[in-house]
Amino acid sequence: MEGLGLYGVFAAMFFTTWLTRGAFLLAGERVRLPAGMQRFLRFAPAAALGALIAPELVGGTGQPLDFFSPRLAAAVAVTLVVLRWRNPWLPFFVGMGVLLALQHLEG
Amino acid sequence: MNPVVREGMREGVRRIFTVSLGLIPWAIATGLAMRASGLTAGESLAMNLFVYAATAQLGTLPLLMGGAPLWLILLTATVLNLRFVIYSAAVSPAFHDQAWARRVAASYGLVDVVFIVLGPSLLEERDPQRRWGMFAGAALWCWGSWQAATALGIFAAGWVPADWSLGFMGTIALLVLLVPLCRDRAMLATAFAAGIAALVLRDLPLRTGVIAAVVLGLVVGVVFDRMTALRRRRG
Repeated sequence: MEGLGLYGVFAAMFFTTWLTRGAFLLAGERVRLPAGMQRFLRFAPAAALGALIAPELVGGTGQPLDFFSPRLAAAVAVTLVVLRWRNPWLPFFVGMGVLLALQHLEG
Repeated sequence: MNPVVREGMREGVRRIFTVSLGLIPWAIATGLAMRASGLTAGESLAMNLFVYAATAQLGTLPLLMGGAPLWLILLTATVLNLRFVIYSAAVSPAFHDQAWARRVAASYGLVDVVFIVLGPSLLEERDPQRRWGMFAGAALWCWGSWQAATALGIFAAGWVPADWSLGFMGTIALLVLLVPLCRDRAMLATAFAAGIAALVLRDLPLRTGVIAAVVLGLVVGVVFDRMTALRRRRG
């Protein structure tokens, strides 16, 4: 996906994002979100994030699974940092630090 | 400009200011990750201006660069954006008395932090002009500081050695979002189920395994939630 195609994708992503944010702002007063639907939607971010992150850490399309990868170790470190501290910079420094250090050790 | 709107804008900026500082590392990481995945500086700036949804941007980068079909990219972005439908529904009474143009603009600017920080006070504010000012001030401030910090990351990417795996900044940014969600056990089950399914299904054609994994995760989450509710009711 290059050149114009790429900008077409951006435009389409703009439109879907705008629509999800605006769904009920644009629809007017009578439209309401059913409670069951809301309970279902609540899980969408966790499901999507889990599905997107796991292959980045353990091995994606066409790669063997590696449960001892530097990326997974870095992710564990990031998780501990997020659970323990509220500093917004720390996860990035610790995560990249662990990743680069382990990659360096692996050679 | 209407002085009531202007006073509201100042109030909106005041409320969002501290939280917006916490977004700076996220924005820089987003900029770095876009460049690391192979987008040019211009393409990265355009994506950030158009889409203005970091989670969808970071989540679709591997699909975008891996040559996934358009429908899959859009579906993934939409799933990542579904939380906005909840925000939109929750905050909509605060916009029903606003002009159409304002609602159209608000639909671009209703990002996570604006909803989380201002949502409740928008619903309480009786004066529609002041209410609009509060939203517009906070949303504009977030937009400006986000675009500036992302641009910083986009241009800084050129100075970092290529073997530093900067794309991982995007993964860290997504993790920073996911971990607090998983304090809820049903959410943790959802994320784990989706993650494991994504690994098992990683070689499905056109990266469709991602969507299958999301659906599986959703089902696990809803079932887990129901079971917990039932158990609680039985005591």
